[in-house]
Amino acid sequence: MLEAGIRQVRVALAMVLGRPINPRLVERLIEDALATIEEFGSPGDDVEQLIDGPFADPAERRDLQTRALQRTARRLARRSVFYRERFEAAGVEPGALTPDSLRNVPVTRKADLVARPHDFICGEPQIVTQTTGTTGAPARVWLSRYEIELWPALIALSLVLRGEARPGDCMQINISSRATAAVQEDIEVFRLLGAATRVVGQVPPDESLDHLLDTGGVTPTLLSAYPSYVAQMVSAARRRGLGPADFRLRGVFLGGEVLSPSLAQAVRETFGVDQVGDAYGMTELLPVGGRICRQRHLHMDPNMGYAEVVDLETGEPAEPGRLGTLTVTPYFPYRECMPVFRYDTRDVVRALPERLDCELAGVPAVSQVLGKAGRLLDTAAGLVAPRDIVEALDELPGTEWPVRHRAQVTDGKLHVTVVSEHASPVDVTERLGARGIDAVAEVVRLGPDEARALCPLRCDLEEKTFVGGAA
Amino acid sequence: MSAGQTLFLACVDSAYALAVPLAAVLYFRKVRIPRPPVGTFNSRDIVVMMGFVLAIPFLYLALPGAALPVVLGLVFAGGLTVGYQPVVARGLLRWSAILTLLAADVTTRLLLGWDSPVYWLANSCVVGLMVISATNLNVQGGMRLRNVAWFVLLLGVYDLTFATVLPLSQELADAVQGYPFAPSAGLRVGGLGAVIGMGDLLAYSLYTTAAYKAYGRAGLRTALPLVVVFGALVPAVAPPVVDWLTGHTPSLIPAQVCFAPAAFIGFLVLRRRGPERRMRDYLARADARPAPGLVAAVEPAA
Repeated sequence: MLEAGIRQVRVALAMVLGRPINPRLVERLIEDALATIEEFGSPGDDVEQLIDGPFADPAERRDLQTRALQRTARRLARRSVFYRERFEAAGVEPGALTPDSLRNVPVTRKADLVARPHDFICGEPQIVTQTTGTTGAPARVWLSRYEIELWPALIALSLVLRGEARPGDCMQINISSRATAAVQEDIEVFRLLGAATRVVGQVPPDESLDHLLDTGGVTPTLLSAYPSYVAQMVSAARRRGLGPADFRLRGVFLGGEVLSPSLAQAVRETFGVDQVGDAYGMTELLPVGGRICRQRHLHMDPNMGYAEVVDLETGEPAEPGRLGTLTVTPYFPYRECMPVFRYDTRDVVRALPERLDCELAGVPAVSQVLGKAGRLLDTAAGLVAPRDIVEALDELPGTEWPVRHRAQVTDGKLHVTVVSEHASPVDVTERLGARGIDAVAEVVRLGPDEARALCPLRCDLEEKTFVGGAA
Repeated sequence: MSAGQTLFLACVDSAYALAVPLAAVLYFRKVRIPRPPVGTFNSRDIVVMMGFVLAIPFLYLALPGAALPVVLGLVFAGGLTVGYQPVVARGLLRWSAILTLLAADVTTRLLLGWDSPVYWLANSCVVGLMVISATNLNVQGGMRLRNVAWFVLLLGVYDLTFATVLPLSQELADAVQGYPFAPSAGLRVGGLGAVIGMGDLLAYSLYTTAAYKAYGRAGLRTALPLVVVFGALVPAVAPPVVDWLTGHTPSLIPAQVCFAPAAFIGFLVLRRRGPERRMRDYLARADARPAPGLVAAVEPAA
């Protein structure tokens, strides 16, 4: 108990002072957390403060954020060619930056990372991971050994303290094998927790279901996937007549795409799970991530990075209620090798008031991601977000997920083309109308290749196997 | 040692050895101490505790006479406020009670003298409350009967060593006797006196409470007789018996030398009933998941 207390103090001091965190120390804290849960059945009091940090007090939060931003900027000015030039060009003194003066630093875009990757390197590269390329040319992000060791340890600690994973669990990983960092991270997280992993990838959904049903070895209790891929699994499971009694799943972790409430409910009903996590993450922002609360706010982790909403129209910090792009600065010592500063994700969110009354009210929040900035639909009646359309279409009766569609604006009017065997244009306009979206609807029947061409999704990053051919 | 003195010692020590552990068990059943988010007692903490046990006597002996009560007073005040925060949540009320208790200890010692029964009762009260608090901090923090059994066994070896090879125990007992906040409980009435060390009371309370947590009423039924017989009666009657057998009266029979082997055997016997209950099992059987503070206790099945 005494050792665990000392370890907590050492990790907390490293976090507050911005010193590198010894991954071994965090790994030992995971062992302490597992022993605590073994003895008591749950973590002790004030566990939220340990996980989410002392951010409930705005003044304290601002002080910690200012120091973390200055620390991160100073390091970048010393080590990153790209940011040294950028700070000099902007006339910014890195050691004097505050959340208010941050706007003087131009945002970093994916194109910068793609064009000048070497100028971002600040550490010893160990492994490269790359974005899936669903929104253009993939960006490559190098990670150091320190990052590869630290991030899984921090995630594992958070998972075990939140009760989202435990020893004996088995995580089936159905994300793209090209998401090297995420896959490697998941494997390491579950190793640290004394749990197993099944790295399946984006194989044909029926094969993934076979893995979920496999009782040889350790049967999966958790599943990690993209929403569009899990949608395919839901459809395949329903076709095969599989239901909650057939699976041993306890939780499903989704991210990377819009997850509609209808699909989340279908996942719950099909796989018999209570916990359907909708996490926000992005390769370029690692290890900063976000969680969705019950009121569907996106709460970005304030321990590891600074999140801001940059107004779509003015480019200034967005006032509550305004739309803007989510812009994130991962802090040192969490991001070390190839850090970014004010990275504009192009994910559109709505800025929210500082005071919220959800269960994560102590953690700053924005709205759920509404879609990519380039895909907002500017109609005569106003902006329509891709999320609104996806959520409406996922409610179509008799639909087979994932619903593929194309939305475009012609002469100020929204036109939505939906691929469906059963729905009618009236169904589509009714669902959209219920959300205040006036649109002209068209329903088409397309083959798989044509449907993919109409609306590419992450589930299209499919991986071939010989299983189907052998059968 | 007269027969009257032996009887007095046996009665007083037995009373303390019974009352303090029982009070610790009662506290365990009724009160939940807040615990840190991460951390549970483990075998490495035994090493740390033994480190303190080894170091504290030397600290006591090294401190100048006037400093010792001050240090002990501060330690007691800190320990009492941590242990009784869940019982008396209001800080002002809690601190008033603690300071009154500590003031009573000092006042009775200064006004009535070190051999006053009132002083001994006041000091015993402080020590007893401190032991109950420390016991529950450890047992509710995850200390298991296995940990206690090994700790007590090491204490037995320590006591034997420091009573025979390095005769520090008597020197230490003499050094702290009669001071305000002396780390011992006891009673003096007329020419009769009985003292039981705070460390001994802590060992008995830890053993009893951990046995209760691990095995319910069966643990309590095993632990309490062992505590009274081998922790109080045997050490009290041992000197005259040794005198009768050898013609030589030992100046000190360390209680842990008698208690430790019995306690360890008691642990081995209890262990045959099955694995120890953890706090989560205890709380589940109590059919409640108590918040910190006072709780309605429900007797768990043995």
